[in-house]
Amino acid sequence: MSDGERWTENERRARELFDASVEGLDAETRSRLNRARQAAVAEAERAQSSPWRTWLPVAAAASLALLAVALWRMPGDARDPSAQSTEGAPAAEVVELLATSEDFDVASEDPEFYTWLADRGLPEANGTG
Amino acid sequence: MAASVSLDFATLARLADAEPTPAEDSALESATTLDRFLASVERRAFRIAQMAVRDRDDALDIVQGAMLRLARHYARRPSEEWKPLFYRILYNGIRDWQRRRAVRSRIFGFLPGSWPDDEDDAADPFERVAGDLPEPSRQLMADEAMQRLETALAQLPARQQQAFALRCLEGLDVAEAAAAMGCAEGSVKTHYFRALRTLRARLGEVW
Repeated sequence: MSDGERWTENERRARELFDASVEGLDAETRSRLNRARQAAVAEAERAQSSPWRTWLPVAAAASLALLAVALWRMPGDARDPSAQSTEGAPAAEVVELLATSEDFDVASEDPEFYTWLADRGLPEANGTG
Repeated sequence: MAASVSLDFATLARLADAEPTPAEDSALESATTLDRFLASVERRAFRIAQMAVRDRDDALDIVQGAMLRLARHYARRPSEEWKPLFYRILYNGIRDWQRRRAVRSRIFGFLPGSWPDDEDDAADPFERVAGDLPEPSRQLMADEAMQRLETALAQLPARQQQAFALRCLEGLDVAEAAAAMGCAEGSVKTHYFRALRTLRARLGEVW
């Protein structure tokens, strides 16, 4: 600032005027400010006495983020039941396989498969005839 | 029954004699510190808000909101950080108020008499004259000068108003003003310099 003295005088004058206007505040305004301050301090005390109010939203957000990451990182096979391996399939699925006529026909045309099925100890589904 | 009463008295006596726990001490101390801080800024903050929105009730609401937000979210921060934080919250409140008002005036502006004129909202200088001042005429002159300053300030861009209010009127240093305004220190200096230059051009060499 090249003309520092003049600016300083202007700044000083502005500050004086502002200070005077602050000092001249009416009683009602002062009172309302006082009440607002007391309410704010009470709010701070409440927040301090129950910190869960502060941390609960943070914990909830962190849990949601973790869940989202876990779902995103989960392998596709785990999310898609149709893609699961049929190796070691439970007996119920074999029964279901035999329950359809098409599958039954295939089994009847293949005696080895039928023998294997009998070795598994499964009941004969839908009869044999 | 007598045993119960004597126990209650004993409990009361022990509670009365008990020293406050460190946690209670800390809470009390921080509440006192916060109260002291808010008391030191509340009137100046109110005047700054009033100059920006030119309405006493709205300015009071904005200051109250800033106090509550500081208390609710930042009371645990070091007290040295409170001042720039408080003024940042305050100016956010002022900006929100100005946006709401701009929207309302766009919506209702075409209706005659639906929105009071700015000149009607401007504070009457006589309202601020305190009754117990020794020299009313001198005070009146100061009020008029302040009114001219407020009017000139209101015509500045928002960032220049903020820089001037924080640096000159509130006395924040450049780093504090930058934190309060959310900008670089160089920007504060630029806004402040331009504000001073414009005010001098509009108000004269010495206001």
